Formats: sequence, structure tokens, C-alpha cells
Amino acid sequence: MIARDDALGDAAAAAALTRAAVGNGARFVWCYADVVERRTVLRYVVEENGALVTHSGVAGDVVPSLDLAAARWHERELVDRWSVRIEPAPAGGSPLTPGPADAYRRAWSPEVSAVLYGPIRSGIGESARWVIETAGEDFIAVEPSFGYKRRGLEERFVGLSVELAPFVAEHVSGATAVSHATAFARAVETAGKIDVPLRAQAARSMLVEFERIHQHLDALAKLADDASLSVGSAQTFAAKERVHRLLAEGTGNRFARAVVCVGGTRFDAFASMAQACSQSLDRVESEATGLVDALFATPSLIDRLVGTGRLAPELVREYAAVGPVARGSGVACDVRASGGAIYADQEADEALRSDGDALARAHVRRDEIRRSFRIVRNALDAAPGGEWRSHAGEIERGAGMARVESPQGELLYAVRIEGGIRRVAIRSASFQNWPLFVPALPGNIFTDFSFIEHSFGSIVAETDR
Amino acid sequence: MSWILRALRRGILTTRYPAGPAEMPGRWRGVARAVPDAPAASYERGAAVCLSRAIEPRGHDAVVFADRCFQCGHCAVVAPEAFVMTNEFELAHTADPMLTQQLLAQRAAAFGRSVFIRHVDAGSDYSCDQEVQALFNPFYDLNRLGIFLTASPRHADMLLVTGAVTGAMEEPLRRTFAAMPAPKLVVAVGSAASSGSIYATDAIAGPVDRVVPVDVKVPGAPPPPLSIMHGIWVALGRVGARRAEPSA
Repeated sequence: MIARDDALGDAAAAAALTRAAVGNGARFVWCYADVVERRTVLRYVVEENGALVTHSGVAGDVVPSLDLAAARWHERELVDRWSVRIEPAPAGGSPLTPGPADAYRRAWSPEVSAVLYGPIRSGIGESARWVIETAGEDFIAVEPSFGYKRRGLEERFVGLSVELAPFVAEHVSGATAVSHATAFARAVETAGKIDVPLRAQAARSMLVEFERIHQHLDALAKLADDASLSVGSAQTFAAKERVHRLLAEGTGNRFARAVVCVGGTRFDAFASMAQACSQSLDRVESEATGLVDALFATPSLIDRLVGTGRLAPELVREYAAVGPVARGSGVACDVRASGGAIYADQEADEALRSDGDALARAHVRRDEIRRSFRIVRNALDAAPGGEWRSHAGEIERGAGMARVESPQGELLYAVRIEGGIRRVAIRSASFQNWPLFVPALPGNIFTDFSFIEHSFGSIVAETDR
Repeated sequence: MSWILRALRRGILTTRYPAGPAEMPGRWRGVARAVPDAPAASYERGAAVCLSRAIEPRGHDAVVFADRCFQCGHCAVVAPEAFVMTNEFELAHTADPMLTQQLLAQRAAAFGRSVFIRHVDAGSDYSCDQEVQALFNPFYDLNRLGIFLTASPRHADMLLVTGAVTGAMEEPLRRTFAAMPAPKLVVAVGSAASSGSIYATDAIAGPVDRVVPVDVKVPGAPPPPLSIMHGIWVALGRVGARRAEPSA
């Protein structure tokens, strides 16, 4: 992975280069701010031919907007949190700041009403709020507000040693803690040119895939629950439980937290996972794959997914969506395909579906569960020996960026170290995908909301940070 | 094959807990405990690496605040002579030592045999929420014990709160608590909800008990379903808290 840094010019020039690259077919990845020597530096990242390219520049009084749907929320964050002036200013209220409850009480026509949904929602859901304009059953417009779960985690990294910092990354999204710790660790390893022993790479690879399995099962169980398929949902949650038990056995934590560290793993996680797998992997796999197949053989579930929340591939590209959301609309986007996972089955194609609806996204998850089990078995078969951690000293200065294919899709961490951590920036898959959730709703009816939400499988915790 | 047949064929998965015993795997990390009589420097070393400030060295011993511990185990790595990770999961304790099992049982008597729970995410990292969800999977099946989820605070007897409370969730949480009929119980699920854990104090409103009165705290990051079950049982006065825990 290449992260090329231009000599620091003006942010306007960096924005123009980024805009031109996207015009030539590059995928917009993110933009973020950093304060270096009292100057606000903006970094724009695009992907060209599988490699990450960064254009950086110092923000002047005014920075031109990229005017891309994919960049809108990122620019909003630059305005809201970094006081960067972007022209033309992003329109409308901020989707990233919780609004007052009565801010939306406008005068509606007799047919149209506004429904306030959240931040506390029914069932066991994460806190976020939507203002839904509706005329009975149809969605007319939806205005999201996030930021209810903002807990200042990017700032929490500052000043910490790289030894302790992965614990903070694990709090950004506890349900996908391995992906976050691994992305952080790889960013630091890039900055410090630290090699990671093969045995640790195998352990990380296995743990990321187990994380994908339990999160995909979670999404499918919730879809089954949305369709009132209570036994199917309960059994799918039971299959997820088996994965957590295997992880508790193999790592000491049900979400495999406190395993990944800079330079490898904190203990010989490969050995303990191999031992846990020898006892229960066959059972865990047959339960998971058998149940998921049974879900797809249940017409009452399939009927609710067909045609629901359909996303055209053009729209997915416009928003630069990632993960199962992109792959469900036939848009290839998988970090593992560009050399991120050494145990990925080379013969297996990336799980792609072209229908773009909730069913296609569910199918992608089903295919990926099987693929993840194959990657786990590949890593177990490879059984690389040797050390599980390279012992590098504390890094004095350096900068690095790395990405991991988390269950939600491409996750990136950027780290700058100068006598301790100075800046950690996080671009989660959920942050990139939520904006697309809004145009996914019109054309559907009210009761489709939860189906579409669970077919996206996005996490609010990693969006708000 | 129908779902009913499929479920029957799988047989009974459900734990006998809390009526019978249960245990976590041997490798599972509960909270840290101090081992007395190690060199004073060892306790200092452990405290220095604790991101959630759960350890207070006291000479040749240390106090570990269980509700602050997020179970990383790093103190036991840097100072194995001074700290161990136990695999006990019954970690719930009452927030107020004066709140006895008898008092809690008297309050819970009003609920009869069924208890309705409202869950609020006050700013979690989403793992605690998934563990609350797991309480209703066939391995734990809280419904068998007469415990149900409700979407309305008006029906709720017990509030389960996950996450340290963020500034934006302070008011919604307070309003949910106010909307619940008395008598009511509040359980803080996880170390973040119980103590604020690793979060910077100026980035959040604080742990749950800064916003609404808390009856029981369940340490863990995230607490496994068995720990949460134990916490609910303590809150209902059906079992005593294991021990008096020092609270930060």
C-alpha cells in the first residue's frame, strides 16, 4: 500500500487534485484534518488502482468544497469540529451534531407529517435520531442526526504510548474491536517500519474473520427478527453465541479484545486459537452455515427482503460506499483483495451480487460467512511457527495509514507520532455508508426501515467516535 | 425442515444458571485482583499502565476498583507478581452498600413474577448492547425466567443502561428514567456505564449514576451475558452481591 505525501502546498490545490482524480475514476476515500505546527493541514485520500494516494495542503481562509456526495459528511466534520471554512458551505443542518428536539417542527401540509425517531429507540438499538417526513406509509424525506454517542475517542489517543493505544481503538467499536485494533496497529507499524511475524499475521487474520462471522450472523438474526421469524432469529443468535464462546476460549474475551498489539499479538494467540478451534470449529461452522441456509429457504423472510432498499450501482459509486453495501450492488470493494489478507482463498471470488436490494446484501453476508471460515482454515493449515511479536522500541516520530476489511467494510486509521501519539484519525466503514442510507429509503414504506437499516449493518459507535 | 423441528432437534441449549452453577472458560479474563505482599514498585507499575485508573497502590498492596476495570489484563502482564485476572463472572455489586438484598427484594416484590426491562444506549461501544441482546438467545433465554424487553418506559420495571453517558444522551436518559413508574430499578451494564472507564472526563457527562440513581453496577468490557444475568438477579434481590466492592 502506497501513501504518497505531496510537499505541503495549499489545501485548495490538494482539493483540486482530489476532485480531478475522482473525475478520472479514482475512488474517494476520505479527508481529515490535522494541526501541525499551528497550521490546519487537510489530507484528502483517494484510491487509484488499488493503492491509496494522499493529497495534503494547508487550509487557507477558505477551502473549496469537493462537491461530492461521498465527501459531504467528511467536509461537514471539517466545518463542525475543525472550524475549516468550506465554500460553498455544506447545505442543511448537520447530520453529525445532535439537534434540539423541536428544531424540526415546521408547518407541514395537511398530508405530510414529521415523525421523530430516536435517539432512544425500541428494542436493543444504538442511539441516533431520524426526522422522517411521511404521508402515511411512504418515506418522503429523511434527515439523520448522529453524534449522540460522541465520546471524544480520537482525542483520547493523544499523548498515549503505542503499547496502550490499541485499547482505545477497541473502544471505538467494541463489537468489531479486532478490526479497529488491527487497523491502528498496522498504521503504527507502517509509521515505524515494524515487521509483523507471520504467526501474528495468521492470528490477526483468523480473529478478523471470526469477527466478520459473528457480526454477519448478528445482522442476519436481526433481519429474521424484523420479519417476525422468532425461532429463526433465536437460532441465528445462538450460532453467533457459539462464535463468542470459541473466542472466549481462545483469547480470554468474547470479542477477542486485548489481543492485537503493535508488532503482533500480546500473547501466542495463534496457539490458543488453534487449540480452541480443534475442539469446536467444526460445530461452530456447521451450525452457522446450516442456519443461514435455512434462513434463505424461508419464504416469509425472503419476501420482505426482495426489492427492499434497492441501491443502483451508480449511486453506490457516487457515495463511495464500501463493504457488503457496495458488494450487494455489484461494486467490488474489498481490502482483502488488494493484499490485506494473506490467507484469503485466492480461488474464491469476492462475494458479489448485483441486485442491490436488502436480499442481495444478505446474500453477500451468507457468502462471506463461508469464505471467512475458509480463510480461518487456511490460516490454521498454514500454521506459521516462530515469534508472535516483533520487539520494536518506542517510535520517536513517523506517520502511517493502514486499512482493514472490517465486517462493515473498509476501515482506515491514520496515525502521526512525534514523541508520543499526536493525531489519530479514523474513517470507519459505517461513517462512509450512513449517508447512502438516506437515499435508500424513499420508494419504500415505513415498516421497511428496520430491514434496510439491518441490511446495511452499520454501527453508530464507530460513526460518532 | 421447519424451524420448530430444527429447534427441537438441536435439544436444550439453555444454561441452568442462576438456579444451577455456570462458569466461564478458564482462559476468560474477569477483573483484575491485587495479590498482596509484592514489592511496592510492582503495584505502581500496574497502576501506571491502567488506562481506566482502576488501580490505587497502597504500599505492598493495591485496591482495584472492579467497576473501573475494563478487563484488558495489562497490569497482570507488566506486574504478574502483583496482579492476577480471575475468571469469576459474578461481579455485580450494589452501588450503595446500604442497599441490602432484603431492601431490593422488597422493592422487586411489586413486580410480581414478571419483570419488564427497558434498554438505553447512553453512549456505548456497541459490544455491551450485543451482550444484552444475547440474554435472549437460547443459551440464556431470560424469557424463561419471566424477564421481558419492553419498548416503552411506561411498562418498564428495570432500566439497563449501557455506555458512559455522553453529553447528548444525558437528557434523553433522564427523561426515560422519569417516565418509568415507581418502584423502578436501574442497572449500569459494563464498566463504562458503571464508572466512565477509559473515557476522558471532559468528553462525556459521566457514568450513569451522575445522571440517574443506579442500584446495581455490572463491571466488564463488555460483561458477558452471565455477568449481566447475575446483575439483574442482584437488582431483584433474588441473590446477594458476591462481596462489597470498593467503588471509585
